[in-house]
Amino acid sequence: MLSTHFGLMVAYALIVALFFAGLWRRERKAQIRLFLQVFLGLVGGGLVLAYLMYPFPAHPPAPFP
Amino acid sequence: MPKTPSKPASADDPAAPSRNRWLAVLLAWLVPGAGHVYLGRRTRGLYFLIVVSAAIFVGVKIGGGLSMAFDAPLQKLGTLASMGMGLPYFVLRFVAGYTGDLARPGFEYGAAFLLSAGLMNLLLILDTWDVANGRRP
Repeated sequence: MLSTHFGLMVAYALIVALFFAGLWRRERKAQIRLFLQVFLGLVGGGLVLAYLMYPFPAHPPAPFP
Repeated sequence: MPKTPSKPASADDPAAPSRNRWLAVLLAWLVPGAGHVYLGRRTRGLYFLIVVSAAIFVGVKIGGGLSMAFDAPLQKLGTLASMGMGLPYFVLRFVAGYTGDLARPGFEYGAAFLLSAGLMNLLLILDTWDVANGRRP
């Protein structure tokens, strides 16, 4: 899981979502709801950004021909 | 909303046992979750210890860079943020001699995990202060 970009993104989203769900909410249902919102937002947002950036080149064009 | 006066937790309040709030904050910085455990919130403290430790573990496992420079303003901020994780930072840097592995592809990703671990612990310190002052359960 930690050997791919996507795996690392999911791992980071998992840790951050777990952290803020535990920090900002006290009731179990509210914690689960916030966890899902943060986790899916991070992973989903990352995927959306990835598709939006897909048409753009990975490397800048050479300065000289 | 009226400002809640800052007062140390008293022994009469069963939800907030009498504890030194400054010691709670120091413990919270030194070991993630220790401040909450000191204040009687053992489950929460253990939970945050596991979560922050997971971030540190992943960061080190993939060879993430550990900020340690104070040359440029952003480097200073990065180093201070990483130091937020407390004892693990100093153990990694001075005991284990860990700096990250620049040759590995996970160097930058891992640096993000380690930075985030430090920043998360800084938030835990603030939460510990609120709990110690009775502002949060």
